[in-house]
Amino acid sequence: MTFNPLEHRGIPLDRQLRNWRELDVEPIDPDHADPYTRCRIIAMNGIEVEAILFSHQFARNCPSMDVKRQLAEVRYMEQQQQRAVNWLLPGVSSALENTIAYEQVAVDLTAWVARMEPDPYLKQAYEFGVLEDFDHLYRYANLYEMVQHRKAEKIVDGLTEVIPGRPTRYHHRHPHDNVREPYDRNAAAPISKLHALTIMAAEQQTMNYYMNVGPEYMEPIARQLYQEIGLVEEEHVTHYESLVDPGETWWERLVNHEYNECYLYHSFMETESDPRIKAIWELHLDMELEHLRLACDLMREHDGREPEQVLAPELPPPVTFEPNKAYLRELLDTQMDLTTLGAGYVWEAHERFERMQEGIHGGEAPPSDRVVDAHRERFGSDYRLSTEGEHPDPRLREQPSQER
Amino acid sequence: MSVEDRPEHAEDVIELLVGQHMLIRDLFAEVQTATGEHRAEAFARLVHLLAVHETAEEEVVHPLARRGIDGGEQVVEDRLHEEREAKEALVRLEGMDLGSEEFDAALALLRDSVLQHAHYEEAYEFRHLRGRYDQDRLETLAAQVRMAEKAAPTHPHPGNETAVKNLTVGPVLAVFDRVRDAMRGGGSQGG
Repeated sequence: MTFNPLEHRGIPLDRQLRNWRELDVEPIDPDHADPYTRCRIIAMNGIEVEAILFSHQFARNCPSMDVKRQLAEVRYMEQQQQRAVNWLLPGVSSALENTIAYEQVAVDLTAWVARMEPDPYLKQAYEFGVLEDFDHLYRYANLYEMVQHRKAEKIVDGLTEVIPGRPTRYHHRHPHDNVREPYDRNAAAPISKLHALTIMAAEQQTMNYYMNVGPEYMEPIARQLYQEIGLVEEEHVTHYESLVDPGETWWERLVNHEYNECYLYHSFMETESDPRIKAIWELHLDMELEHLRLACDLMREHDGREPEQVLAPELPPPVTFEPNKAYLRELLDTQMDLTTLGAGYVWEAHERFERMQEGIHGGEAPPSDRVVDAHRERFGSDYRLSTEGEHPDPRLREQPSQER
Repeated sequence: MSVEDRPEHAEDVIELLVGQHMLIRDLFAEVQTATGEHRAEAFARLVHLLAVHETAEEEVVHPLARRGIDGGEQVVEDRLHEEREAKEALVRLEGMDLGSEEFDAALALLRDSVLQHAHYEEAYEFRHLRGRYDQDRLETLAAQVRMAEKAAPTHPHPGNETAVKNLTVGPVLAVFDRVRDAMRGGGSQGG
């Protein structure tokens, strides 16, 4: 079924305001909900947060009072959308439990985008990043069993494997090596622009989340692990945001943002298993169609261009949360030892990488190693959820326990 | 390794009780999805675990919190109120047909309030206790709770038919009493 958001009318802006009762959404059930419903909630929260932050940046760079007022009005509705979406998460779940769900999002969303991305350079960027999110999931899962005495399989429910990826200790690269080349806004496929925005938004939300919840923990290893992985998220945001062409005008960026929100709400509406949540995606899609129409009018007026020139003629196939186990195992088998140099990728640890490694680790094991060591010491082995056989990389297969 | 075995790794009383919160949460989910005999058996395990857990908190943790944390008296009063309500709800559940909609609805309500209660304990009591009491003390208390648990087992051990029988026929209040006696006797009674 094709859907062109430019051809549909949404809810008029002056009828979008919701009252407190309408905003007071019932959270999903933490133990019976589809894990991918929780993933869609987390992903969409990241999209709305990006919409809000982008709109604020735009307003700060915009001299027109009329445009600022329109941005403010749309942004207020986006703030309400963010509340309605993120408040679907249940209070029973701890920050660490949400963290594991965030990493499940990072793994299965980035893997899906990598599989669908037509541009080989962009595809490589996603394949590179996903092996790191995959390892973060494993590190946090080991922390989860230690501090909360529960296994991450209760959260990911066998849909995503929890085994070592590219070891987190090697994620700490020199900041210059995190900057990629951007796509060309005139040549890139519309889907490539949407992919870049989506993954940038998801990683940005993850970075902000870890920056803020890390210090709420009392356990020293938890505090330290959030610091470490939070800094890798800074690298990921740098990596993905640099894929977006900075030559896009503010109007064009606004249109791309609103179009992407339509794309994701439509995707989630099409793939949602929970009817109650599906109704929320549908309502928000109807709101976004109007935000998109307003953004398109601004582009025509201020940019002198038709939005159709930069947008796809119809929405691409829906962004789908589904297991990516075989794909991830193939990446584990082939891209484990990759790192970055300048805007490209190399197999050797180069001098700038080594210097960064020495500086940040200070000759000691990083928290991401210590959390697994501590788990081994206490439980006799590390925590893994391996459903598809032994690890593709012989170096990372389970080692016999070394109890002291 | 079954979920029931996990708290064995716990080292101090706070870790032990946090682990039990997770077991309680998972057991609620299990009862909700189970049917027939499996549901009856899972519900019996839940009752026993709640008995051990709430009693341990009342006998061991709340007294520490009362004395040791700012506003402890009031915090503990709130928790005791929630625990009394939960116990009453359990007694009501016991009188219902396990396959009925009435049971489903009451169980869902109890689950919400027990999980909320557990969250408050972790946020307002447990996180303060570790800063306030030394590790040795917290570990000794864990041993005390574990001993009481052994005296009034919370789950059947394979081959122990008597335990299974006790588990499935014990009325809720009797289970709580038995656990309390065991805990006060330092594990010397019951069994």
